[in-house]
Amino acid sequence: MRVRADILRTYQGVHTWTGIITGLVLFIGFYAGSLTMYKHELAQWAKPVSAPVTKPYTNNYQTLVDQAIVKYPEQMGNGFSLDLLTNQAPLSWYSQGKERGMALDNQLQALHINQQNNLVIQQQSENKLADLIDYLHRTAGFAGEIGHDQSGVYILGIASALYFLALVSGVIILLPTLIKTFFAIRKEKGASRFWLDSHNLVGIASLPFHLIIAFTVVVFAFHDLIYDGLSAFYDDKSFFQRPAPAAHNYHIANLPSIDKQLLAAKNYATGYEPIHIAFNRLNTNSPTATLKMSNSSAVVRGPDTDYLFLHPYTLEVLNSSYPQGDEGVWGNIVGSFFSLHFGTYGGEWGRWGYFIMGLLGAFLFYSGNLLWLDKRFKKDPNKRSTRFMANLTIGVCVGSIIAVVATLLQAKWTNLYIENANYSYLYSYYLVFFVFVAYTFFKGTHHASYWGLIGIAFLSAGMGVSTLVQALLADDFFKYYQSGIVDISAAVFALIFYYCAKKVRYKSASYAVMPA
Amino acid sequence: MSSAQRQKIKPTWLGKSLAGCFLGLALAFILVAFFAWYGAGGIDAPDKVQFNMWIIPLLWLTIFSFTYLFSSAKNAWLTLGGLNITLYSLFIILRTWL
Repeated sequence: MRVRADILRTYQGVHTWTGIITGLVLFIGFYAGSLTMYKHELAQWAKPVSAPVTKPYTNNYQTLVDQAIVKYPEQMGNGFSLDLLTNQAPLSWYSQGKERGMALDNQLQALHINQQNNLVIQQQSENKLADLIDYLHRTAGFAGEIGHDQSGVYILGIASALYFLALVSGVIILLPTLIKTFFAIRKEKGASRFWLDSHNLVGIASLPFHLIIAFTVVVFAFHDLIYDGLSAFYDDKSFFQRPAPAAHNYHIANLPSIDKQLLAAKNYATGYEPIHIAFNRLNTNSPTATLKMSNSSAVVRGPDTDYLFLHPYTLEVLNSSYPQGDEGVWGNIVGSFFSLHFGTYGGEWGRWGYFIMGLLGAFLFYSGNLLWLDKRFKKDPNKRSTRFMANLTIGVCVGSIIAVVATLLQAKWTNLYIENANYSYLYSYYLVFFVFVAYTFFKGTHHASYWGLIGIAFLSAGMGVSTLVQALLADDFFKYYQSGIVDISAAVFALIFYYCAKKVRYKSASYAVMPA
Repeated sequence: MSSAQRQKIKPTWLGKSLAGCFLGLALAFILVAFFAWYGAGGIDAPDKVQFNMWIIPLLWLTIFSFTYLFSSAKNAWLTLGGLNITLYSLFIILRTWL
């Protein structure tokens, strides 16, 4: 397809500048996003749960709840959660902190009934590793809060808007040569051509995924502001209808049985199984029960499950995130936007697919930066701003990966000895990350990328080794078997990074940014 | 200056970027406002407000992306500004008197 030269030149400019401004933060957002697809497995890997105290599904929840209400009426009246899948203590409430937000020192009271039919209560701190991976994904590691969100969320929102421009402009500048060179990966024409071809192939092949991610991230970051703007165009009708609170307060003594709650939820739509139920404000006039509903054969809207909101006393369904019939066409479309971002529509294969797509996305930004650097170095090998950007690219990209792997490894060992290791995750990530960035500026890209890649390879290999060592030392090594997929994947990545490191080693120093 | 030369697009980054950013956003809002009231389902369709919110950034970013096709920043401001003024006026008229 022919495109006028002046248009091409203009969009080349758009592509270059939007790309170079946003590439690094999006790199972190994408590869950490890949990890979030398996964050629960990673958390389980870092802190394997010990022997089960109860059997899921065979548990008599009602006895547990009744005894807990008698013994802790006030706490139970504020609200409690019941996990229907766990083989740990199923009932819990927060004695410090709350479910939402990002506090690392939350304390839970967890309750179960032991074999002698006695109520057992234990204080627990939450393992926040999975949440911290998610936090890295949503903020790229930018700390600080604005309003009720992390500032990093807004930074990624702005970066994503620019990334949308980069995608459109990238496609426009490819149009003239797209058909001829789409599948051509030209190795013989030198490293830069090879990287350009790979960059283009990955970009075009995963374009729909990238467009979806770009615009959903803008929505996730700015939905409150957009709603505020949109409300100006509506008249006095309430924007979202909320059910009016009842005239009187309810009391937990009258709470219908757990079985009735679960039955009401199951009857709402077939195929959905409740796996978790959270009661809130049970002694007020606006109590709610939030149920996580799992359905492996449907497109779900949350990160893991669909949600159903029940009135815990009348058992009316207040709201749900389920796909609706013809009436609910708008809700369904919105639901599919969520699900397209979270990758919760393709089962286990879809999860792996999103994992790979996320990594390819990270590759897209990394290769984009390298191409920019290569072009600049060819023009003027000694320019200081180019050197700076080269150091920053290697420092941030390699540094953030090595920091995560080091933190995972650290988590696995610290959890053996410390009850709440959440803060250590945070410190070790930022420490390793900034040390590596500094190291890159100090030693230069060639040296840093070689040793960084070697470091990632050995730390990844160390993950499997740690599991093996801990399993041999522990009395029940079966619990280490459940997260075996993490060890296997880490071993594969160890080999890949080792191979990359070897490639980098034999490059001449000036072209170290572009191994091939 | 021949007509071919005059039509060549000038990059004028700042001017076009600002037009795309602000006028593009305003345009996205008013287009969705029309859709909210007069589009499929009308103003009261359940959950449509969520859909409308979602579609605003999509429209905005699409308009933003193609703003660089205007031959100059001035043109971008005039065209997008004109469209905005027309549509906002029309919306106010429709909502006030109809």
